[in-house]
Amino acid sequence: MKVWRINVRKQALQIENVPETWQGLGGRGLTARILLDEVNPECDPLGSENKLIFAPGLLVGHRLSSCDRISVGTKSPLTKGIKEANAGGRTGFHLTQLGIKVLIIEGSPTDEGFWVLVINKQGAAFKPAGDLVGKGAYETASRLIEGYGEDPAIALIGPGGEMRLTAAGILNIDKDLVPSRISARGGVGAVMGAKGLKAIVIDASEGEAPPIVDLKTFREAQKEFNKALLEHPQITAYAEYGTAGMAMISNGFGGLPTRNFSSGEFEGADEISGEFLRDLLVERGGKAKTTHACMTGCTIRCSNIFASQDGKEVIVSPLEYETIALMGSNLGISDLDVIAKLNWQVNDLGIDSIEIGAALGVAAEGGAFEFGDGQSALALLEEIRTGSELGKVLGNGAVATGKHLGVDRVPVVKGQAMSAYDPRAIKGTGVTYATSPQGADHTSGLTIRSKVDHLDPEGQVELSRNSQINVAGYDTLGACAFASFGFAAAPETITALLNARYGGEFGEDTLRNLGKETIKLEREFNKRAGFTKEDDRLPAWMKEEPLPPHNAVFDVLEDEMDHIFDDL
Amino acid sequence: MLTVTVFLGTILQKKTPQGNQRRLEVSLDEGASIVDLIYHLDLEVEPDYLLLAVNGRIAELDQVLAEDDKVHLMMPISGG
Repeated sequence: MKVWRINVRKQALQIENVPETWQGLGGRGLTARILLDEVNPECDPLGSENKLIFAPGLLVGHRLSSCDRISVGTKSPLTKGIKEANAGGRTGFHLTQLGIKVLIIEGSPTDEGFWVLVINKQGAAFKPAGDLVGKGAYETASRLIEGYGEDPAIALIGPGGEMRLTAAGILNIDKDLVPSRISARGGVGAVMGAKGLKAIVIDASEGEAPPIVDLKTFREAQKEFNKALLEHPQITAYAEYGTAGMAMISNGFGGLPTRNFSSGEFEGADEISGEFLRDLLVERGGKAKTTHACMTGCTIRCSNIFASQDGKEVIVSPLEYETIALMGSNLGISDLDVIAKLNWQVNDLGIDSIEIGAALGVAAEGGAFEFGDGQSALALLEEIRTGSELGKVLGNGAVATGKHLGVDRVPVVKGQAMSAYDPRAIKGTGVTYATSPQGADHTSGLTIRSKVDHLDPEGQVELSRNSQINVAGYDTLGACAFASFGFAAAPETITALLNARYGGEFGEDTLRNLGKETIKLEREFNKRAGFTKEDDRLPAWMKEEPLPPHNAVFDVLEDEMDHIFDDL
Repeated sequence: MLTVTVFLGTILQKKTPQGNQRRLEVSLDEGASIVDLIYHLDLEVEPDYLLLAVNGRIAELDQVLAEDDKVHLMMPISGG
C-alpha cells in the first residue's frame, strides 16, 4: 500500500512509501496522524496549507460486513479544529483496490475553475469539470456515471461545496450509484471546493484486493465476526427499522430535539417514528424499501428507500434518524414526505442535514419562518442554491445563522451543531458533545443505549469516555458503528483480523488502543490550533434553561469533564 | 388492578390483523413489575436485553408499576 499525494496547484501525483508511524493506523486515526504531522493547526482551513485526506480504515478492502468505510480528514472550516467525517459507499473500498492507503489532496489551485480528478492504476489526471459546475449532487453523479461507467467510485461536492459553505459535505456514491453516503460534517466539502475539485473518480477496474498475510486465519475470524453480527438481536431492529427506530426512544427519554431544542418531547413523534416509517414504506411498496445496504457485503442493511405515495418515484434514500429529528421535530414538522423532500434538497446541495436542520431551527426561532411550515423551509433551502445572502448564512451553519438573526439559543459545541439527542436529557451524550475534539457530533460517542439514568449527572463522564474511545477505534478500523455489535460479541476477532491482514503487529485491546491514540492526536491538533478547556463546554443556556418534560438542565461538573482524557 | 400505557419499539410491536400495534393500554394486578408486563405481553425477546423506561426515566425489570405509568420497551439501538 502506498501514499498517493495530489498537488492541485501543479496538478501532479506523487506516490510515496507509507512512513512507519502511519502503518498501524487507518481511517480516522490516520487522518489525525497526518494532520498533526503535516498541517499547520493555525492555518486557514480553506487556504493552501490545509490538506484534504481520504483514508480507508485498517480493515477496508475485503468486503468484511460493514467495514468498508472511508474517513475524510481535514482542518474544519466550521470548527477551526480537527475534523474527520466518515461514510459508507464505495470510496474506501475502491481506494484500497488501487493499493492506496491514503490519498492526500494538497495545495491550492491557480485559478477559480473546478476539475474532476480521475485516478486509476495508471495514475491521476485532471479533467475540466466543465458544465458540471453549479450542478446538484444527483445530476453530477449521473453525468459522471454516464462518462466513466458504473464501476468506479465517485466522491463529489454539490453547489454548497463549490460555494465553500462551511456546512458542505462530500458525497460518495453507494453500490446503487446514488450519491447519498455523505462525509457530511464540519465543512469537508468546502475544503474540497477550495481545492478546486468537483469530483474524484476512482477507477479500480485494474486493481486488486490488498494483500492478506494469513488468509486462512482472516477467513476464520471473518466467519466468526459475521456469525456474531448476524446472531445479535439488535441487527434485526436495524434491518427492519433502520436508525429511524431511534425517534421514539429519544422521545421516550425526553431528549428528542424539538423546535430548536426547546423541548425534548414532540407531539408528532409517532408520525416521524421508525415504526410509522416502516409501515408507510410497506404500504407504498414499489420502489419504497424498508431495508437496503449502503456498502456491498453489508449484512446489517440499516438503510432504506423513501418513495412517493404510489411507490413509483424515489424521493430520497436513505431517510435517517438524525435528519428526521433535525429537519422534523426540531422544525416542528411531522410529515415524513416533507422531511424526505428537505433531505433530498440538502443532499443535492451537498450540505450536512444536521447542520442545516439546526440552522433552520435557529432561523425559525429568529422569525425567518414559522415552526411547522415545511414549504417555507424548502424555500429557504432554495436560497442556498441561488446563493442569496440568507442562503449563504444558512449554508454556513447554525452559528452563522444565529449571528445573522440575533438568536442566542444556538445548539452547538466548537461551532458545530448538535445531533438529535438533547444533552440535557441524555447527559452522557452531552459530555461527548462537549469534549469530543470533533465538536458536537453523533458519531463521536453516543450513550443513549446504556442502561443508566440519563438525567443523573453522575457517571456520565466515564460513560462518554468509554464510548468515545470505542468509536474512535471503530472509525480507525473503517467499521460502521453498527458492526460494533458483532465485534463486541466477538472482540478477539478484531486483533485476529488485523494480525492476519498485516502480520502480527497488533496486541490485545487493539480497539481501545487505537481509539485512545486517535483521540490523543486529535486533542493535540486542537491544542495547537488554540483550543482550551473553555471550548469543551455546552452553550451556557443549556446549563440554565430547563428542558421539558423533565425540566432538566445540563449539570455535569465541568471540572470532571476537564479530566476526561487525562490518562489516555 | 392497574392500567399502564405501553409503547413498543421497533421489532417489539405486536403484529395484529389491524396492523402493527405500538401503543397499548394494559391492565395488570396491583404490585406488578415490568417483568410481569413483559411476560403478560408474551414478547419473544429476552427481558434482560431490553432498554426500559418508565415515565421517561430509565427503569429496571423489577420496578413496580403504578397506575397511569407510561412504559417504553425498546431495543437498545442508537442513531446514525
